[in-house]
Amino acid sequence: MTLFQIHDLTVRVPGRTLLDNLTLDLPAGRVIGLIGHNGSGKSTLLKVLARQMPARIEGTVLFDGRPLSDLRGRDLARRLAVLPQTTPPAEGMTLAELVALGRYPWHGALGRPGPADHDAIAAALRECGVAALADRLVDTLSGGERQRGWLAMLVAQAAGTLLLDEPISALDIAHQVEVLSLVRRMCHDQGRSAVIVLHEVNMAARFCDHVVALRGGRLALQGSPADLMRAPALTQIYGLPMQVLTRDDGLPVAIPA
Amino acid sequence: MTLGLRMMLSLWGLAAAALWLWAARDLPWPTWPFVPQGQSLDQIRMGWGLMPRGVVALLAGAALGLSGAILQVVLRNPVADPTTLGISAGAQLALVLATVFAPGLLVKGQWPVAMAGGLAAAALVLGIGARRGFAPVAMVIAGMLVGLTASAIATAVTLAQGQYLLSLVIWNGGALVQQDWTGVRHLALLLGLGAMGAALLARPLRVLSIGADGAAGLGLNVTLVRLTAVGLAVVIAAGVSAELGLIAFVGLAAPALARAMGARGIGPLLALSPVLGALILSLSDGLVLAWAGTGGQTFLTGALTGLVGGPLLIWLLPRLRGSTPPGTEAGDGPAPRLARPGPWLAGLAVALVVAAGLLLWIGRVPGGWAILDRESLAAFLPLRLPRLVAAAGAGAALALAGTMLQRLTANPLASPEVLGVSGGAALGYAGTVFALAAPGALILGAGTAAGGALALAVVMAFTARRDMPPERVLLVGIAVSALASAVLSAMIAVGDARAWAILAWLSGSTGAVTLPVALILAGLALVVWMAGLALSRWLALLPLGPAIAGGLGLDPRRARVVLILLAGLATGAATLVTGPLSFVGLMAPHLARRMGLARPADQLTGAALIGAGLMLAADFGARMAGFPYELPLGLFASLIGAPWLIWLMTRRSP
Repeated sequence: MTLFQIHDLTVRVPGRTLLDNLTLDLPAGRVIGLIGHNGSGKSTLLKVLARQMPARIEGTVLFDGRPLSDLRGRDLARRLAVLPQTTPPAEGMTLAELVALGRYPWHGALGRPGPADHDAIAAALRECGVAALADRLVDTLSGGERQRGWLAMLVAQAAGTLLLDEPISALDIAHQVEVLSLVRRMCHDQGRSAVIVLHEVNMAARFCDHVVALRGGRLALQGSPADLMRAPALTQIYGLPMQVLTRDDGLPVAIPA
Repeated sequence: MTLGLRMMLSLWGLAAAALWLWAARDLPWPTWPFVPQGQSLDQIRMGWGLMPRGVVALLAGAALGLSGAILQVVLRNPVADPTTLGISAGAQLALVLATVFAPGLLVKGQWPVAMAGGLAAAALVLGIGARRGFAPVAMVIAGMLVGLTASAIATAVTLAQGQYLLSLVIWNGGALVQQDWTGVRHLALLLGLGAMGAALLARPLRVLSIGADGAAGLGLNVTLVRLTAVGLAVVIAAGVSAELGLIAFVGLAAPALARAMGARGIGPLLALSPVLGALILSLSDGLVLAWAGTGGQTFLTGALTGLVGGPLLIWLLPRLRGSTPPGTEAGDGPAPRLARPGPWLAGLAVALVVAAGLLLWIGRVPGGWAILDRESLAAFLPLRLPRLVAAAGAGAALALAGTMLQRLTANPLASPEVLGVSGGAALGYAGTVFALAAPGALILGAGTAAGGALALAVVMAFTARRDMPPERVLLVGIAVSALASAVLSAMIAVGDARAWAILAWLSGSTGAVTLPVALILAGLALVVWMAGLALSRWLALLPLGPAIAGGLGLDPRRARVVLILLAGLATGAATLVTGPLSFVGLMAPHLARRMGLARPADQLTGAALIGAGLMLAADFGARMAGFPYELPLGLFASLIGAPWLIWLMTRRSP
């Protein structure tokens, strides 16, 4: 099963080529980590998949076998949920209201929210462990709580695919593990797919089933975390000598050599 | 600096010089020695009129460009300039007050008075800013409020003292006419001092550009640098105001242009902005000279800077890169949120109805106050009811438009008054008054609506671009407003009966409203309110930005077009009654939010009720304050609203 089929994808902005003739298949039902150095094009690729790239795109992207551009806005939002890199301030909004916004693709601007919507909202709050915070203002939550709140909005959207752009970049290490564990559990328990842009290669290796590495807008490597965690592969991706150590429990850890 | 840029600058310079030379084509050059004695009249006109005028245009433009650049750098805000921070309006108010009430003060020249006014306004704005950690957004809100209040008071005084109208209006429009070289000497001194100050401040400002916290960490006295820089900019701007009057836009356009042309960093910006400012003003003055001839004494160059600068800025906006750097300080503290807004909204509605009823019954009679008996009520009702309904409807419509625009742009500054819709409508009204001999109410309405729609179309052309951030939209609105007010000042400066008609309408009056018109307006407000409630999910999603809204399947472009059309309709209709000056559309949504009405539907309803109540109160005040004469409604609305909002902003947020 293929989630995204990307063929000959090129994205240019004046003066730079962000993605260069990229051809790639992303498998469904997996947690896919998108890694690479700064400016490698990983966020650009995620924006293209989320259909939020303002620049012109060359090449084709199929989502579930259909051209991505064919889907109408709300149809796409029912299948694909997106979390941008920086979440905006939600002025004056409670967490429950934020999560309820995730139902917009289902009831639209005018439709009345039905029992199905309320159930989805309650389930999302529970699944992300933020039910107790439902009446708090979003802007008063801590970083980790807020990020779980936004994830709950994505869950309420009931989309089969999640696109997350560096969801842990503003969190401390404990909250990083907490959020990524949540994403992994959400995917494995409910059969969702996720594409996550990650900076930290060790986090990617630990929480992802499948890793795609970009370098200079081209594909550098794709495969399992085990394929990634080899010194030559990492050195090629980051352009820096890397070393892979083995923890006591057998998990590999990469550090700059 | 690229080759194209250099070519463009030289072309502009050549154009300005050519225009000046064309204006001077019939005049002989004065002969040496350079004294008026023994020269012909034309030589004097050349040597002591046209020549200093050309130099003054260069100097004043450079000074304004420098002032704007300093303000934009120190406040880290691409829309800061002497106009948006209320400095020019403060100077204007001081001069108007001095002209009318204490002409003796002006014997020593206009400089001290204008300086005092500008500094007072800046001190007020800075005082508010200081309590908010000099957050750029808070500063500009404060500046615009101070500016609006000052010009409202100035207009009220002008209207009350009709005999001074023409000279005040001429000063407001900025006339560059010179009789000798004193203006040149003053401005040269001012520019020289300003340039020295800017050179000294360049390095501290560069450190400050990394943000207040970072700069303080590097050992910079942030407050001192900010105060010095703003003080310098104020002195420069007020000096130009005193010498020439209000020349809007140069201080905003020159740094924006410089940035668009690729001036990176503080030094190049401070250096290039004065050059561009000088070119803009020279070009404008050259156009005025070429058009009106050297005899066109009353044609206003300041009015024309908007004509040249406005479209230029609008054209440049898509090419403008980089604005406020990320991580600028946060603005207001979090507003409270009511758990159960229902009772509050009901209370507001009841209060509104009670107030309307009271206002119907109570009135002022010669010698005191009176409560009407049944007979007098029957006599007064046809007179009072239409204006009450119209005032409430207009207030509600403006408040609804403001709420929608603020949520649409996620920008607390957005409102119909700020986005240029009102300015465009005013232009439409003025154009109709001038184009037709005796236009009826319906034709005037059509003209006003057309003007508003046109302004809206320009703003919309920009909002339709996917990557246009809110502050750019705001900048387009300011550009449109400036353009409109420039043309308006030029029209009013003609000084005949039509000018009076426009000036009276500009400050807003419900006096002439008939009941059908009032009912249509109220009905329209109702329709817009219901549409807003229906679209309240959009209004909840849009403040989260296009990435989130788009990710949830909302087409942000379509939502923008629909909401802007709604807001434009509401504004156009309300502007007919209140004039463009009132800023209920900015105020009512703020008040509703500060009350704790956080959800879109609650905020819309609350803002509409508050807006209607504000307008009712303004109408009552306008009728009673100057009894038996009427003050203009819109004017009164801003007179009570703005100080209140300023007071609100000076409180520390809890």
